[in-house]
Amino acid sequence: MLLQIEELTKEYRTGTRANDGISLAIGEGEVFGLLGHNGAGKTTLVNQVVGLLRPTSGSIRIDGRDMVADPGLARRLCSFQAQAQVPIDGLTPRQAIDLLGQLRGGARADVQRRRERLIEALDLGEWLDVDAARLSGGVKRLVAFAMAAVVPGRVVMLDEPTNDVDPVRRRLLWRQVRTLADHGAAVLLVTHNVIEAERSVDRLAILDEGRVIAEGTPAELKGRLGAALRLELVLDPDAVELPASPFGLSAVPVGNRLMIGVPMDAAGQAVAWAESLKHTGSIEEFTLGPATLEDVYVALVGGSDAGPAHVEEVIDANAA
Amino acid sequence: MQMLHSYRLLVTWQALRKKNYLPLMLAVQTLFTLGIVLGYPLLFPTLDRAAIYLIATGAPAISMLSVGLVALPQTIGEQKTEGSLAYMRSLPVPRLAYLAADLTVWLAIVIPGVVLGVLVGAVRFGLDFQVSPLVVPAVLLVALTSACIGYAIASLLPYMLTVIITQAIVVFVFMFSPLTFLPSKLPAWFEVIHSILPIQAMGEVTRGTIAPNEFGLPLGAFVTLAVWCVLGFGVTYAAMSRRG
Repeated sequence: MLLQIEELTKEYRTGTRANDGISLAIGEGEVFGLLGHNGAGKTTLVNQVVGLLRPTSGSIRIDGRDMVADPGLARRLCSFQAQAQVPIDGLTPRQAIDLLGQLRGGARADVQRRRERLIEALDLGEWLDVDAARLSGGVKRLVAFAMAAVVPGRVVMLDEPTNDVDPVRRRLLWRQVRTLADHGAAVLLVTHNVIEAERSVDRLAILDEGRVIAEGTPAELKGRLGAALRLELVLDPDAVELPASPFGLSAVPVGNRLMIGVPMDAAGQAVAWAESLKHTGSIEEFTLGPATLEDVYVALVGGSDAGPAHVEEVIDANAA
Repeated sequence: MQMLHSYRLLVTWQALRKKNYLPLMLAVQTLFTLGIVLGYPLLFPTLDRAAIYLIATGAPAISMLSVGLVALPQTIGEQKTEGSLAYMRSLPVPRLAYLAADLTVWLAIVIPGVVLGVLVGAVRFGLDFQVSPLVVPAVLLVALTSACIGYAIASLLPYMLTVIITQAIVVFVFMFSPLTFLPSKLPAWFEVIHSILPIQAMGEVTRGTIAPNEFGLPLGAFVTLAVWCVLGFGVTYAAMSRRG
């Protein structure tokens, strides 16, 4: 495995244990998703890999080499799109991408060629020579991605790369993420956008309170749910009690919705039950569909992160 | 080689980042120096020639201190808060190249205003400066030392504390530091403090090289400043290299 993290623990001086014995391995050509609520420890993990934070214990290796002992090497082997916006106000995307490519050791002509390809692939041509101070947040994030991708490291770490990006360009971005992996990079993708992750990653780990609570391919994780279908009930605001699931599987409240796992052979029964709830006024409407990674995620870490902001992400992702 | 290559690219980056504000910063810096040179005599119309010399040659040090110990640490503090400093620290460049590039751009911002302010002061009051060639290293040393100390403050302290401390420094520099008056006007114990702090040395170095005929070249002050400069740079370098 190209990136090997073993028993990584990070405890801040305040006593907060942000990472607690995390072990992960990511291979060449793999897009690996790191999912979790805000504060789950994702960014702490990434900052340790890139050498901004020193682990309390555990090891980080890239190609077998110790990154904790040599953070300078870690910065050369990893390219990084941080969660915060890049400091490029005053620069144009052309200048920012070219400068970063050259800082990462690329020859000027090669960097310019790569930049042209990325700008075209991400459809950023109209902003190529516009001061970044005048760019929207989404375009700036795409430029930040291009900066990380123009001369990629062996490991490419992307922290919430699609934040604020419009649905059409999100697709273009995901294609470029895949291209990075196809060219041999190990891509570590940090996100709390579960729906996008399901479509884009080869494997993923779900982090909660600093620990890995599940790891596998999206299909493997959905398999663990034990339910092929998901019944979503939109509750009546006046309903006092949550309807009890007759299927004995997960039933997780998310805002004013209730997500219920349903076995494939109980589809008819589920629809009949939901119809009866609608008839009695306990729910306003319902949908029955295939279970998604989001259901696994919500079942594992609860629905506290899946409020209105999450609903917007669902809409965005569906539009894409 | 990598050091120079990174330095050149980072200077370009930092200069482009500041280019929108550069004309404004230059103007403010010039006005700031001019404000001191022209404003004090308005406040005290009976100033004698010696006092005017002190003010005109002390103003550049105040101006450089105001950038290095106030504007710079506040900017670095903001960069720490918004995460852009961490991003720059994640780049595969030597820390030394990053710091050198950032300091170069800060120096480029502060020095033209200082020069212009001194020139206008000299013309306005008909002062006869016999400027020493040592003025170049002197101004560079003063600007660099104040920037290094400012950087160290911002690197070590949380943003809000940086803001509060830099505000206090402004008052201290303006009102209680022998830059536009001689140290002998201070109480003895305060004179001792200022003989250790770098502020008085900054004043002595600038006025001693702008008007050596009036004040003499203070070699001891050069040494004091060099020590503070190395100290500030060392603390900053260590803070930039430290993993949290």
